[in-house]
Amino acid sequence: MSYAYLFKYIIIGDTGVGKSCLLLQFTDKRFQPVHDLTIGVEFGARMITIDNKPIKLQIWDTAGQESFRSITRSYYRGAAGALLVYDITRRETFNHLASWLEDARQHANANMTIMLIGNKCDLAHRRAVSTEEGEQFAKEHGLIFMEASAKTAQNVEEAFIKTAATIYKKIQDGVFDVSNESYGIKVGYGGIPGPSGGRDGPSASAGGCCS
Amino acid sequence: MKMDLMSGYKGVVGLLVGNENSSNEDRYVERLLDRISNGKLPEDRRNAITELQAVVSESQAFQLAFGAMGFPIMLSVLKEERDDVEMVRGVLETLVSALTPINHSKGASNEVHPALMNTDLLSREADCISLLLSLLEEDDFYVRYYTLQLLTALLTNSPQRLQEAILTIPRGITRLMDMLMDREVIRNEALLLLTHLTREAEEIQKIVVFEGAFEKIFSIIREEGNSDGGVVVQDCLELLNNLLRSNASNQVLLRETVGLDSLILILKLRGSSFTFNQQKTINLLSALETIKLLLKGGSESDPGKDMNKQTNKTTLVQKKILDHLLILGVESQWVPVPVRCAAMRCIGDLIAGDSKNRDLLASKVLGEEPHVEPALNSILRILLRTSSMQEFIAADYIFKSFCEKNADGQSMLASTLIPQPYSMNHAFLEEDVNMSFGSMLLHSLTLGENGDLETCCRAASVLSHMLKDHLQCKERVLRIEIEAAPMQSLGAPEPLMHRMVKYLAVASSMKFHDGKSSTSGNSYVQAIILKLLITWLADCPSAVHCFLDARPHLTYLLELVSNSSETVCIRGFAAVVLGECVIYNKSTDRGKDAFAIVDTISQKIGLSSYFLKFDEMQKSSIFSSLESSLTHRSFARSSAASMADIEDVDGNDLSEKKNLDHPILSSILDSNFMNLVKSLEADIREQIVEVYSRPKMKVAVVPAELEQRSGESDAEYIKRLKVFVEKQCSEIQDLVLRNASMAEDLAKTGSTLQPEQRVSGGSDRVPIETLHRDLQEASQRLEMLKAEKAKVESEAIMYRNLAGKTEADLRSLSDAYNSLEQSNLLLENEVKALKREGHSTFPDVDAIKAEAREEAQKESEGELNDLLVCLGQEQSKVERLSARLLELGEDVDILLEGIGDDAGAAEDGEDEEDDE
Repeated sequence: MSYAYLFKYIIIGDTGVGKSCLLLQFTDKRFQPVHDLTIGVEFGARMITIDNKPIKLQIWDTAGQESFRSITRSYYRGAAGALLVYDITRRETFNHLASWLEDARQHANANMTIMLIGNKCDLAHRRAVSTEEGEQFAKEHGLIFMEASAKTAQNVEEAFIKTAATIYKKIQDGVFDVSNESYGIKVGYGGIPGPSGGRDGPSASAGGCCS
Repeated sequence: MKMDLMSGYKGVVGLLVGNENSSNEDRYVERLLDRISNGKLPEDRRNAITELQAVVSESQAFQLAFGAMGFPIMLSVLKEERDDVEMVRGVLETLVSALTPINHSKGASNEVHPALMNTDLLSREADCISLLLSLLEEDDFYVRYYTLQLLTALLTNSPQRLQEAILTIPRGITRLMDMLMDREVIRNEALLLLTHLTREAEEIQKIVVFEGAFEKIFSIIREEGNSDGGVVVQDCLELLNNLLRSNASNQVLLRETVGLDSLILILKLRGSSFTFNQQKTINLLSALETIKLLLKGGSESDPGKDMNKQTNKTTLVQKKILDHLLILGVESQWVPVPVRCAAMRCIGDLIAGDSKNRDLLASKVLGEEPHVEPALNSILRILLRTSSMQEFIAADYIFKSFCEKNADGQSMLASTLIPQPYSMNHAFLEEDVNMSFGSMLLHSLTLGENGDLETCCRAASVLSHMLKDHLQCKERVLRIEIEAAPMQSLGAPEPLMHRMVKYLAVASSMKFHDGKSSTSGNSYVQAIILKLLITWLADCPSAVHCFLDARPHLTYLLELVSNSSETVCIRGFAAVVLGECVIYNKSTDRGKDAFAIVDTISQKIGLSSYFLKFDEMQKSSIFSSLESSLTHRSFARSSAASMADIEDVDGNDLSEKKNLDHPILSSILDSNFMNLVKSLEADIREQIVEVYSRPKMKVAVVPAELEQRSGESDAEYIKRLKVFVEKQCSEIQDLVLRNASMAEDLAKTGSTLQPEQRVSGGSDRVPIETLHRDLQEASQRLEMLKAEKAKVESEAIMYRNLAGKTEADLRSLSDAYNSLEQSNLLLENEVKALKREGHSTFPDVDAIKAEAREEAQKESEGELNDLLVCLGQEQSKVERLSARLLELGEDVDILLEGIGDDAGAAEDGEDEEDDE
């Protein structure tokens, strides 16, 4: 249960784009073609390794429906990373990205890392949003971008890990005050506390106390 | 000054039940409120608030008066005087007073509760919740403290509204969570608030966990000394349980990221202090509740429930939960009974349906060398010897969970059932840890001999778990014979089963000897032994055979079924055993086969009254109360109440079910068993009808056989036919007999029916058929109507929604129109104003014009004058020069001739201009 860092993620995006399936593929390595509508939020967790350090990901999968927005917004502020998902076969889910992004910018902390994911890339024959458009949108808004498939698991692992790597880099660069848990980052055993970072080995003042 | 007023009003307050003087309070409160909202000096306003607080905390009448008009004013003070800490504090304190119930010793129950009313009023004030939540960020301790108290009061009385409000306020819960890290008093208040808040609302539970609730809870528990801590630990655990109850998502988070170590740590008994004060007992019970919730998994509707539950179990077992539970439930002798029971129930949950965990439990050995014994033996000893009924039930639950669908485990336990010679059976010490499971059980089963039916029936309960659905075990135990006691050594050893029937009879007879006092005391002994018999005979012809081996058994059962002094449940169970003797009867002996049993039943009891026993049992409270006992209750916080709480765990929930049956029955007769009984009943009915409707012919009537065979002599033929007829004759006699008993039965049933129904008899068929048709038609129509109704309803809803939308549209349109009109009006006004302004400026322009003209005129006049002066000067110069020229003798006129023209023209132009 020991980890160097713990990152909190949220997954957001329109209903039916495959948020829950991405999470399930990432945590359980399985795909469930028929998934119940998510009510409110659901939780998942997994350990990954970045730079030889164990990193725990706590992931909150939110309901995409409008009626849950006020509930899901409560999760924005405390998250270090967000996966913003659209469905490459449904144009409107891409068109709504701006409104999701606005929501995130308004409610999340400014340093939240956002990964844009074009899901269902296995359904290339029904594609309604080109890869270039996704890239373009990400570039314009300063997001990381990837196309993925929860069904074939393509890029799923990568998406979660790349997001974590970006957050990790930000910590190394001293962007965060990691002692402040409201950024969605927590230092565990063997972690490097403080924004100075870069030193190896556990520090005496490591604040994390969870195992 | 305040004191004066107070004493002045005390008299009025004392009188105030009939409310006839309420206007006085109203006026007084009104005055104070006026000072608060309109006062000029902060000092005066503060004083008014202090006075108001004092009176509001004093009497219900003032609370009412304040509630009627005070809230908007108070809230506006909170909004506008945020910097005046003292005023804010005073206002909050006043609000707390207005929301705190005042105990009136003589208060009637139907009186209005001003505090409740005020809470409702306050919660309706717009933005009240967000305002209060924002106050939690204030530096002043009292401001935060009172605010938390207010929120708690609001939550207690209108939870729905507060929950919804908090969910819609961004960061609302974050602020509350921050309070957990605040000073102790605030922290404790926040704990209570969060506990209230998380009781039902799943989304709030999740957000609270997102905000790191688990870490905070466990860190507080650790700080307070785990189970040795005070009431704060209890509060923490209650919050924890609220967060985990039926919430798979939160359970996953706890398991996957926070871990269960901290939880296990609470269950650990540390150091040499074996004192269990009541707080520690409650803390441990709460922690065991947490374990129970984890073992139960998420909500029933969750599709991944079983997987989550299984993972919880596995993780708990990895953390050696079983060892801790065994210490609490079985090994430690200092642990109070309620904790032991809770721990044992957790063990039962842990092993239920989990073969690995069952094997683990079976392999556990307790005690220290050389006095070690298998854990299961220790649990059996507790089960047999405890003085607490609850502890027996908890231990019994372990065996039930251990045996259910665990054929290997059942065989393992049954294999130890080896009968000992009588002398040996009674020679050993009960404390002996070397005694095997089987001999302990057998010994207890035969204790019925000495009148210890209590222990005997407890053992019977364990035995029934061991036999359930396991044919080999049933047959193995059938072969066990018990040696008769030396002094009554009349006969050979008898089968264990016969002993059990004997004890059943002893139990019922003892009841009659003892009179009323122990009626309920023994009915559960009978019920448990009957349960054993029902389980044993089910699907096991050899058990039925063994049971019917002794003729008196059947007679006794028949007596039991029709004995009206037995409870409904006992009679019902006895009827089930009888039924099993029919449906699982493979015997071909005349007098013992299924037909014989059915005949006996119909002769001795009558089939309809036999079936009536089933109906009565179905309707009895045991069946109906099966599903109902699932509500959870939390431990009372006040220490006085909680001790009673713990002490009363024995039969606390059960005592409410006041019926003839013993309360213990509802625990022992679990749903599985009751379902077995239900399905048996259906089989029995079917089988008995079968026996009657299609009696097995001993003589088959084959037309071919009636013909004379070729080569058969007439004499042989006649002889054969004669035998045939004889057989048929005896069978007809049988049938006639059965028919007679049925007719008698019918007559008996008929007599209880309405007379006119009986008279009409067979001629009823036709009307019945038409009635039946009518009924069908009617029900069809009903269905149609229902469908139509649903359709209409859904349409109505649709239209309502539509209407609502249209209305909203209309409203927004009219709003828009209004605002347009307003802006129009505004514009018009502006235009008007502008116009008016325009009018007043015109004269000015004229004036300016005139002025300008005047000025221009003046200027031109001046210039003209200058010119004239110049001209004059030139003229005089010319005159002087011409005089000089004349003096010099020159002709001036000729000299000036050319110039004069020019000068004349210029002079003319100047004149013209002058005229203008």
